[in-house]
Amino acid sequence: MDHNALAMEMRDLREKVDGITDTAIAATDGLLIAADTAASIDPESLAAIAAAGLGLARRAAQATGRGTLRRTVTYGSQGCAAFYAVGDTALMVVLGDEGVDLDRLHRATQPALRRIGSILSATDPAVATEGV
Amino acid sequence: MSVIRDSVSTSAPDPESVYTRASPDSLGRIGYDLLLNALAECGREEFTGALRAAGSPGGTFHLRRGLVVGAESPGAPGPEALLLRSRRISGEEWAELVREAGGARWPGAELIRHGYAGAAQLRVVCMMALRDAVFAVVAGRVDACERDPRAEPLAPVPVGEGPIRLLQDANRKLAALAALPHPVRPNRERPSPGSAPVAVSDGRLTPVQQELLDQADGRRTARDLAFRTGRGVYTVTVEVARMLGAGLLECAEGAAPLPVVRVPEEGLRQRRPPAPPPPPPPPYVDPAVVTALAAVLASDAQALPRRASPPRAPAPALPRREPGASGITESLAPEKRGTSWKGFFRMRNGTAK
Repeated sequence: MDHNALAMEMRDLREKVDGITDTAIAATDGLLIAADTAASIDPESLAAIAAAGLGLARRAAQATGRGTLRRTVTYGSQGCAAFYAVGDTALMVVLGDEGVDLDRLHRATQPALRRIGSILSATDPAVATEGV
Repeated sequence: MSVIRDSVSTSAPDPESVYTRASPDSLGRIGYDLLLNALAECGREEFTGALRAAGSPGGTFHLRRGLVVGAESPGAPGPEALLLRSRRISGEEWAELVREAGGARWPGAELIRHGYAGAAQLRVVCMMALRDAVFAVVAGRVDACERDPRAEPLAPVPVGEGPIRLLQDANRKLAALAALPHPVRPNRERPSPGSAPVAVSDGRLTPVQQELLDQADGRRTARDLAFRTGRGVYTVTVEVARMLGAGLLECAEGAAPLPVVRVPEEGLRQRRPPAPPPPPPPPYVDPAVVTALAAVLASDAQALPRRASPPRAPAPALPRREPGASGITESLAPEKRGTSWKGFFRMRNGTAK
């Protein structure tokens, strides 16, 4: 896996869309893979919450016949948290403030999700297991 | 500073017309002429509706008979963010007002009625947010402008302002920013606390400076800090520029540090869909019952003594609550009501049956 490419994707997304404050990528079981978060956010907890929330939303969509889950967005008075599935193995969390344009966020996220999915699934023999 | 022109094409525009052109200009603005022309046309035609400026951060101008009564942009806090982030009202109180207003996005009348803001104060907040949004759009990049006659403003001001006048105001602010010794753009620099311990220890910082110093972490732009602190983006951008000049803040050279990437040692595991529920077990028939039935049939309905079933091991289950064990049912016995649960109904095809 190309760590540098993954980190660049996360940073580019934050710089491309006004209002994105933090991003994180985790495995579907909630294990944190990468975090671009402020010091006030605990990325490990965020990854675990995202995995649980996305799993619950997926089951809810299934149980109520809503088709394939596209995304989950939690709205608060001071911003939102969007959870996206990255293929079958991972997920991405994007946190935004009140100003974030959600339509633009979703548009910008789709190609990024595809690229992140292929980065995560790439098999590189020279993979190191620690940071960039 | 470029001169604002009022020259637009004379051809009658299509209401859904899309202008697509973008070029940089002297103040670092991109696509400003595009915005100027589109807004000038709206003003001259006394257009009522919205003009969406796509770009970064982009935004929406709401016009009534050619005057701008509202503007929203992802690049500047709106009146709601200004009120909530400045702690004038809490999130719970806001939600209550929205409920009271029947779900309206902007509970203006309720804010005044409950004393959270005076009518004049609220008008000022809305006008400040409008001007700030125009500044954010002008300071950024405009890729295209598109009209939307159906869009409604969130918090319109009662008296609109001419679009050209608003653009002139935004340009004056941009020129003032550019004239500062350490000019910054609202969504470019990401300052972090600098090394000016004298001013900090002497307590000579203003409340705004102290707040910005607390929130600047090298990740947030002036726009992010404006949302974070509930202040106008122009105000914050100017303050950040001044603090950079005073050494209270500093911008790291080069690109920002990359996020931390950690890969689980065991690699990524594929998500397993939930297992289908197991088929129901076949009905269990005790062999003793079969034997007994056979004996009954064989003896032609002769009575047999009942055999005690072998004792079974208790199932490992959670303790069950016994209804009424606490005695609360007796002490809080509900009054008998005329209605019962039979009043419950289910909506089918939109009608109660």
